[in-house]
Amino acid sequence: MSKITKKLSSDEKKLIRQMYWRSFTLYSAVTPAKQGASGFEYSMLPAINRFYKNAEDKRKAMVRQMSYFNTNIAMVPFVMGIAASMEKKRSENKDFNEDSINAVKTSLMGPLAGIGDSLTWGVLRVLAGSIAISLAQGGNILAPIIYLLIFNIPVQLVRWYGGQLGYTLGSTLISDLYEKGLINIMTKAASIVGLVMVGAMTSSMVKFNLAWNLVVKGKTILKSQALLNQIFIGLLPLLITLLCFYLLKNKNVSINWLIIGAIVISIILALIGVV
Amino acid sequence: MYEAFIVALVVFLTVGGQELFGLTMLGRPIVIGPLIGVLLGDIQTGLTVGASLETIFIGIVNIGGASAAEPGLASALAVAFAITLHKGLAVALPLAIPLGIIGLQIKTLLYVAVVGPFASKFDSMASKGNQKGIVRLHFGLWGLQWFLYSLIPFFAMLFGSHATQVALKMIPQVIVNGLTVAGNVLPAVGMAMLMKMLWDKNISVFYFLGFVIVAYMKLPLVAVAVIAIIIAVLIAQRDYQLHKLTEQVNAKPAVQSTNDKSSNSEDDDFFN
Repeated sequence: MSKITKKLSSDEKKLIRQMYWRSFTLYSAVTPAKQGASGFEYSMLPAINRFYKNAEDKRKAMVRQMSYFNTNIAMVPFVMGIAASMEKKRSENKDFNEDSINAVKTSLMGPLAGIGDSLTWGVLRVLAGSIAISLAQGGNILAPIIYLLIFNIPVQLVRWYGGQLGYTLGSTLISDLYEKGLINIMTKAASIVGLVMVGAMTSSMVKFNLAWNLVVKGKTILKSQALLNQIFIGLLPLLITLLCFYLLKNKNVSINWLIIGAIVISIILALIGVV
Repeated sequence: MYEAFIVALVVFLTVGGQELFGLTMLGRPIVIGPLIGVLLGDIQTGLTVGASLETIFIGIVNIGGASAAEPGLASALAVAFAITLHKGLAVALPLAIPLGIIGLQIKTLLYVAVVGPFASKFDSMASKGNQKGIVRLHFGLWGLQWFLYSLIPFFAMLFGSHATQVALKMIPQVIVNGLTVAGNVLPAVGMAMLMKMLWDKNISVFYFLGFVIVAYMKLPLVAVAVIAIIIAVLIAQRDYQLHKLTEQVNAKPAVQSTNDKSSNSEDDDFFN
């Protein structure tokens, strides 16, 4: 593993260590609309302060890193390492396409969440749980400690080395592309992956089902959700997301109003029995 | 009073604590059970009830914000009642399941109604470059959210197991339903913000590709990512060829004007 960190300066190693510790708090202020955005920002602050000298550049980087972020906790430092190395490139080079940073983040978080969740929640946690349960049933008071160790040692190793790997990979791969003038091609490719993943996440995470049915003389003659599903599965979640996007982009509606609006409308719809 | 305080503190430090310390599984029944057992002076009951509840809740885990129950609050209260009433599993199990479901709903309520509205506050702080404010709010919201959550085990212990069951039935179902719906709709706002960053009319069709793949083929995200990467690589290869071609075309006139006679051999190179 020393190979990974060989090229890093002690300053950069310190940044990656800070990212590792700060990324523990990724979900401490988790919100429905942006998930771990504030935790990602908190973890990136040392890098932002280190790379940008000018207050305006810092501010822009802070806005950029406060975007929706959600992935498996074991994979977080890896993504942060890549993001930090890209922020470094951006700070050194004004022509560096800043949109590529979020494009790369977004295209990574979905697949990493898929792999990470199945490995940590699905395999590791169940393994740790089954061992600890049998110990506890035998009256062994070490059961909870063994449970926590079995789960956390591998996860923390992945987190610790993931940050270093992401940072080194980001700086070598991305500087290489940059020198060849291929960063725009990469940004477009990453944005395509990002958009496909956002589309996929819209379908898997935004849920909205109608409960309203047309009942005549105790007979259900029309199930509204089943009818909609025949037209297009997930039509309403898609339309709701596109509406939010439209309001955000073209009407400049603040995210505050979108969130409050969604909560109020949901409660009203539940009240009148539509959902 | 002592028991109420201890149980509330354990819920705060484990269920809340794991949100602060990287989802390290502190809030699982197998950890909470023995911990409550030690603090209330009956570690064996804590261990056995904790193990039984872990078996029940082992399939329940919070993936991508979706879950079926919150096992932490349920475990803490069920173990505490099992110890204080000296009835063991007989009192713990019937309480644990409804408490797990109610716990999740209250957690969702805090998540949507208390922390949720601050998402835009974080944005405005970032756009003002207010780092101290972001850090304070980041930790402040954690403290507020889990302090409120810990009040439930505190009062539940204070009023006893029977009163807890009665109170569970009093929350208006329609409010709970509405907030559950809101919790499922709100990711749309986050998706919209990502789209705002990535959207470009040349590639916007790919958003719908991702949607339709999951909606109709139910592929897991990893498989969708592989498909997306294949498409992106193909497009990047084409763009790379275009990029090289443009470079050649731009370079060519200069070459031709200085070296007119060798143009035939250059054409050969081009087609090779």
